[in-house]
Amino acid sequence: MIDSSLSSLGAKVVVAASSDENHPPENIIDGNTKTFWMSTGMFPQEFIIRFAEPKKISAVTVDSYNVKHLKIEKNTSQNASQFESVTEKEFEHTEGHLQSNAISLNGSSATHLRFIITTGYDHFVSVHRVNVQN
Amino acid sequence: MVKLRARCLLAGDAAVGKSALSHMFHSDGTLFQKNYSMTTGVELLMKCVNIPETNDSVELYIIDSAGKETLVEACEKMWGELSLLCLVFDLTSEQSFANCSGWMERVRAHCQGLQVPGVLVGNKSDLSARREVQASVAQEWAQSQGLEYHETSAREMENCDAPLLSLARAFHSLYQERRETIQNLSPG
Repeated sequence: MIDSSLSSLGAKVVVAASSDENHPPENIIDGNTKTFWMSTGMFPQEFIIRFAEPKKISAVTVDSYNVKHLKIEKNTSQNASQFESVTEKEFEHTEGHLQSNAISLNGSSATHLRFIITTGYDHFVSVHRVNVQN
Repeated sequence: MVKLRARCLLAGDAAVGKSALSHMFHSDGTLFQKNYSMTTGVELLMKCVNIPETNDSVELYIIDSAGKETLVEACEKMWGELSLLCLVFDLTSEQSFANCSGWMERVRAHCQGLQVPGVLVGNKSDLSARREVQASVAQEWAQSQGLEYHETSAREMENCDAPLLSLARAFHSLYQERRETIQNLSPG
């Protein structure tokens, strides 16, 4: 089996707007959809992923639950600041199973990706896995 | 340890004591405003409530919104996405209690089907000689609306913690319920 989780490639979640110590933000990039990060109330919610080195990204895949609207921003700096917006997407509501979405980033180069969840289908949302395609 | 955040609307007719209660919540029962000054817009107060017997807490962002009819519509734009409801009436005013169903309708329409836990608060319990609403009647209506009922006196600083604790607990159990659902989801 090929282990291609972002964390195994040296990526880190450097910011997350919510914290439940049993469901930490590292769960987003461990490649496992059984583990998750959960928001703990109110919107917007966000998290930022830092890559070990600048990366060309053709698409990201997001496995989540109850996310309604997601905005993605990026930068190419060493710091998690001064982001430019890349794209946004409305997710469909699912019940009983995860939302699974692929979002095209058109080969943008980035060192950080910022995910902003502006609204949800419920008070709480969860993100189970984020992966990138080069 | 979990720190939850909830946006809690304080609703109800003008002059039932919403602002007096919210200042009481905020100051842990040390500050009662003696002079009435009508809230004409929306005031935001933050209060952190610990959930007993856990390390968890809920940060309540309390939105004290004007109760006067002519101002409600403008204020509703600032309610945002609500997590909790604290509906207040005056125990010495039958009318303020009767208007609670109108408030419920407005809040339900605003929340568009999202489940919003809440409490009903009968305030001014110190004015017992002027009471117009019996506890049993209020209790029964609250139950029919899925609200927990509390009586308070902001002036006598009586029982003012109870509604907040009850709101925080309700949000905390909603979180646990949702977390359980998410744990049992199948892949997409």
